[in-house]
Amino acid sequence: MVASTGLAVAAILLMAIAGGGAWTILSQRQLARDELSARVESAGRLLVASVEPLLGAGNESAVKMLLLNATKEGEFRRCRLVGEDGELVADGAPPKVAVRTKGSGPARAEPIPPGELSDPRYINASFEVVTRSEKMKLELSREVVYPRWAGWEAQTGLGAAGAAGFIALLLVYRRLKRRLRGVGAIGEALRALQRGESSAAALEVSGRFGPEAAAWNQLISEREQLRKQVAGERAKETLGTRGDVKADLAYACDALWQGMVMVDDRLMVRYANGAAAIFLRAKREAMVGASIEEFVKDPALREAIRGVASGTVRHRTTIEMKRAEAEGGGVLRCNVRPVRKEDTTASVVVMIEDVTQQRVADEARNSFVAQATHELRTPLTNIRLYVEQAIEVGDSDPAMRAKCLDVINSESRRLERIVGDMLSVSEIEAGSFKLRASDVRLETLFEDLRVDFAATAKEKGIELRFELPPKLPPMRGDRDKITLALHNLVGNALKYTPEGGSVTVKVEADPSSVVVEVIDTGIGISAEETELIFEKFYRAKDKRVDGITGTGLGLALAREVVRLHGGDISVRSELNKGSTFTMTIPTMAEAA
Amino acid sequence: MEFLEQTKGAVRVIKPRGPLVGPDADQFKKRATEAASACLGRLVVDASAVAYVDSRGLEVIADLSEEMTQGGMSLKLCGANETVREVLELTELAGMVEHYSDVNSAVRSFL
Repeated sequence: MVASTGLAVAAILLMAIAGGGAWTILSQRQLARDELSARVESAGRLLVASVEPLLGAGNESAVKMLLLNATKEGEFRRCRLVGEDGELVADGAPPKVAVRTKGSGPARAEPIPPGELSDPRYINASFEVVTRSEKMKLELSREVVYPRWAGWEAQTGLGAAGAAGFIALLLVYRRLKRRLRGVGAIGEALRALQRGESSAAALEVSGRFGPEAAAWNQLISEREQLRKQVAGERAKETLGTRGDVKADLAYACDALWQGMVMVDDRLMVRYANGAAAIFLRAKREAMVGASIEEFVKDPALREAIRGVASGTVRHRTTIEMKRAEAEGGGVLRCNVRPVRKEDTTASVVVMIEDVTQQRVADEARNSFVAQATHELRTPLTNIRLYVEQAIEVGDSDPAMRAKCLDVINSESRRLERIVGDMLSVSEIEAGSFKLRASDVRLETLFEDLRVDFAATAKEKGIELRFELPPKLPPMRGDRDKITLALHNLVGNALKYTPEGGSVTVKVEADPSSVVVEVIDTGIGISAEETELIFEKFYRAKDKRVDGITGTGLGLALAREVVRLHGGDISVRSELNKGSTFTMTIPTMAEAA
Repeated sequence: MEFLEQTKGAVRVIKPRGPLVGPDADQFKKRATEAASACLGRLVVDASAVAYVDSRGLEVIADLSEEMTQGGMSLKLCGANETVREVLELTELAGMVEHYSDVNSAVRSFL
């Protein structure tokens, strides 16, 4: 539009220049013609005033000279005096200079050619000359000669100047055309802005329109940035609370000891908490955005995740994944469940829980139940068999009946001990294992111990020695529990020492503590198991132990008892050479 | 510094012997980090044989606790003597670690 306006202005300007030039030329021509007409008129009147007296005086030759001079001076192409009857009285034109002479026939004036009187190239004038006898007519004709500037040269010059101006205008227009278009585009954009258009893309103009367009685009860009900034701040204000909640949730997820991984429908990890990274042995930064299959090697778990991600599985799937020993072993329980929410791209959440310790505890419990059942069944079976035999023999065989009663008594005590151990274990587990403190006479305690195990040692062909100092200090503690601990230590020593070996109970004492060493020449304990044997339900992995009954509670109970008295039990052992259990217990410790 | 490592069930127990000071503390940190990584964080530090802790030792305990926390777990200490416990209280590190009276209690906490 601006371009067409520019062209119209140029055309109007050009036409104005041309019109002005033409008007100037025509008006100058008319001016020149009028001036010439006035001069002809003036010359005619002067000639009439001069001719009339000369004709009146009959001096026609003077008239002839006058016209001749007037023609020459006035540059007339015709200057003649014609009578009423068309007779040529006198003519100023040199070839036609004539005068009426007596005796000669009258000369006739040549008529003026038709059209000459209206020809603009000539100025014609006619004046009446009156004498006493006749009336005549003075005819003057002069060619119009325009000044040089009013002729074709001037027209050409004006045309050239107009053309030059037009070319200059075109050049200027060409130079300004792009910028004018830019201004036009900016005008369009402003009108669009007024109509409510807010898109920066719609308001921007082409950068090739020049600096004005570039400045406009920068203005629009800054406006857009400002708009976005304002919108961002408003959004931030609006969503501030929601963002805080999300951040809190992220912190909360990181505090979970269960691993949590969110996976989208393309199996890409969208989120993983710290525990998940540990369980999958990966870095969180590396997990987010990567495929979950890079970190999950278990085929069943992979399949479950794929199923939920693809939407074919819509229920929770639980998979227990055993880790290789090289990776630290253990059991991970993975829950794979779908997440279908419109405002999230995640479609699967995998919760990973380390259940290794639970599995180990379950196995230990099962093992204990099996072992305890076996331990309880053996004495119960013996008791039932010997009771039946005692009933059968009746009074007929008193010796056999006495033997039966002896076995029943022994098995009952064994049963009582096993049940006691189990109760103690449950008390320890429940935290209710308490000591009943009283004065303990150690001499009596060790003497009872000797009596209790003498028969067993003799039966197995093991030498049982007691090395006691001459005097033992008085001690305060739970006699039954200390007896239980010592029973377990000596009983184990006898149990795991082969025939022909020896077991030595060596006691050293000072006023503050008693140190009891139980030294055997038994099968010994591997270095890896020297601490494990104090765990509840633990039994050594040595094949030779399998054939020996036991619950795996004795040493655990013994250490617990001694620790409750403020002491401790330690062990030094060498496979196939024997073991030394050292029990240190304070004499005056306040019982726990 | 001597370390005694044993496994109770599925829990790794590491027992440093001696004061947790200077370079020994760094050595302990390395061993504890390796142990925690190997058993997925099922780690108990038996501090019953640690007589005292210096600033480097405290720093190591704080670092270990921070690392464990990032995995949703916490550093479990057991058997620490009164001196060590008091230092942990004074430096406000006690709130960053779980403390148990003995190893078994600490191990049971994983159940």
